[in-house]
Amino acid sequence: MWLFMAPSVAVMALVLLYPFGSALYYSFTSYYLGGTNTHFVGLDNYIALLSEQRFWADMLTTMIIVLCSVGLQFVVGLAVALMLYALSGGVRVISLLNFLPHVVTPVVAGIFLKWMFVGRWGLLDATLIGLNIFPPDWLGDPLWAKFSVIMADTWKFMPFLMLVLYAGLQSFDTSLLEAAQIDGATPWQRLRHVILPMMKPLILFVLAIRMMDAFRFFDLVYVLTNGGPGTATETITLYTYQLAFRMLEIGRASALGVLTLLVVAGMIVGMILLMQRGGREAI
Amino acid sequence: MRRKARMQAILLATLILFTFINLIPIIWGFLISIKQPADAFAIPPRLIFEPTAEFHIDVWVNRGFLSFLLNSAIIAAATVLISVPLGTLAAYGLARTRTKHAGKLLFGLLTIRMFPQILLAIPFFVMARWLGMIDTFPMMVMAMVAMNQPFTIWLMRSFFVDVPVELDEAAMIDGCNRWQAFIRIILPAVRPGLGVTALFSMLLAYNEFLFALILTGQHTKTLPVAIAEFGGEDINYWSISAAGAIGIMLPAVIFTLLVQRHLIRGLTFGAVKG
Repeated sequence: MWLFMAPSVAVMALVLLYPFGSALYYSFTSYYLGGTNTHFVGLDNYIALLSEQRFWADMLTTMIIVLCSVGLQFVVGLAVALMLYALSGGVRVISLLNFLPHVVTPVVAGIFLKWMFVGRWGLLDATLIGLNIFPPDWLGDPLWAKFSVIMADTWKFMPFLMLVLYAGLQSFDTSLLEAAQIDGATPWQRLRHVILPMMKPLILFVLAIRMMDAFRFFDLVYVLTNGGPGTATETITLYTYQLAFRMLEIGRASALGVLTLLVVAGMIVGMILLMQRGGREAI
Repeated sequence: MRRKARMQAILLATLILFTFINLIPIIWGFLISIKQPADAFAIPPRLIFEPTAEFHIDVWVNRGFLSFLLNSAIIAAATVLISVPLGTLAAYGLARTRTKHAGKLLFGLLTIRMFPQILLAIPFFVMARWLGMIDTFPMMVMAMVAMNQPFTIWLMRSFFVDVPVELDEAAMIDGCNRWQAFIRIILPAVRPGLGVTALFSMLLAYNEFLFALILTGQHTKTLPVAIAEFGGEDINYWSISAAGAIGIMLPAVIFTLLVQRHLIRGLTFGAVKG
């Protein structure tokens, strides 16, 4: 059996483990692509980052965007999934149509959404002005820009949650739901005490996937705001990108990447612990 | 009974309205791409206009998007050709091995997936510069294989697990060795899964932006990088940019239709069977 795995393991060692190892190594050096003098600096990169205001501000921005957008996606996705579940016909067409935003190339999605939010000519502004409402500066105001990014992420990833949660609902044993209905449970009680507990492992699983991906969030913000205005929507990933590929500070950027990895890993370990408490049948 | 019918009607209407609102950004993009700029930016939005295909033709023919499409296709195809066979072999091994290490290995693969991509992008960039391989296909394909491999293994494994072990055993009793059993009996049994996995890997490579941004250049530029450079800032370019965006979206739409029955499995690494 190991023979079957050997080629893949060899390739992954070359294209995944080796690069990861070198990034880890860079993070302890003063590697700068513009210069020649690289030496070992121990934890200096990490200490410098952790004592930097921009790092903490970006971490906070990332957390806000991740938590708000994943939360919003989940609520909307679950609502749509429940509606689809209650619907008797046309489910396939409706779910496929709603799934489209998810498969659209992320950069293209960013461009489509930019035409919604952009000042004056964007559809939102055009509509609101038509209704005599003065629109906010969707992408130029620090607070509204965060809102726009959250909405963009929600638009892109809600379909994912919708589809997976709908599949979860379908795999249900309906007898429990019917029993609850006969016992006179209101729809809300059925959701709260029957559906959600039964779906808990699946919910935690998809939320974990979404959190990992939302943390790496790059394409959409890059196109939509590129971190602006100022650094109001600058996520950790965008900052790493700036450090590595604009300032060529490879050592510092690698350290930032490793820190991001640690934060994500911490989050996921937390979710796995939750999952194990809530039943082991998740995967 | 009538109450139930009315509930269904309300539900359907709500969902149709929601779907429409949800699709507005795409519909709007499409409308911009077939309108003259004067019509596209009229306030209030103009719904009656003379459609034109000139921007669609312009972007693909005059702006070189056809050659970017070719680059995208080369990278996506090469990625699939390397990643899927390797991943399929490994997935079969994982699905059939009896040791407990398999579980640990699988979990290890999942953790690789949660790596911030940018952390891998940095060493790839350094390596590419050092080897003088920025703006070459092999470098970009290598990066895409790296991103794809864990996913391919997880997804294929879920298809192999669906095939009963008895099938392998029967083939081996009939005189096949492991390899022959795999090639002749098991592989044909997972053919649909192979197709789905190939399509998903292709889409991942086609949509990739970060790696394409740093590893490709004049000769290998992919569609996402090209459209991002085009920018939505300058209003004069909106129509052309919209035409490009709609064109780039089309393969993704076709993809969705092709894998519709397996979407959920693909989205969850085979963990949830839809």
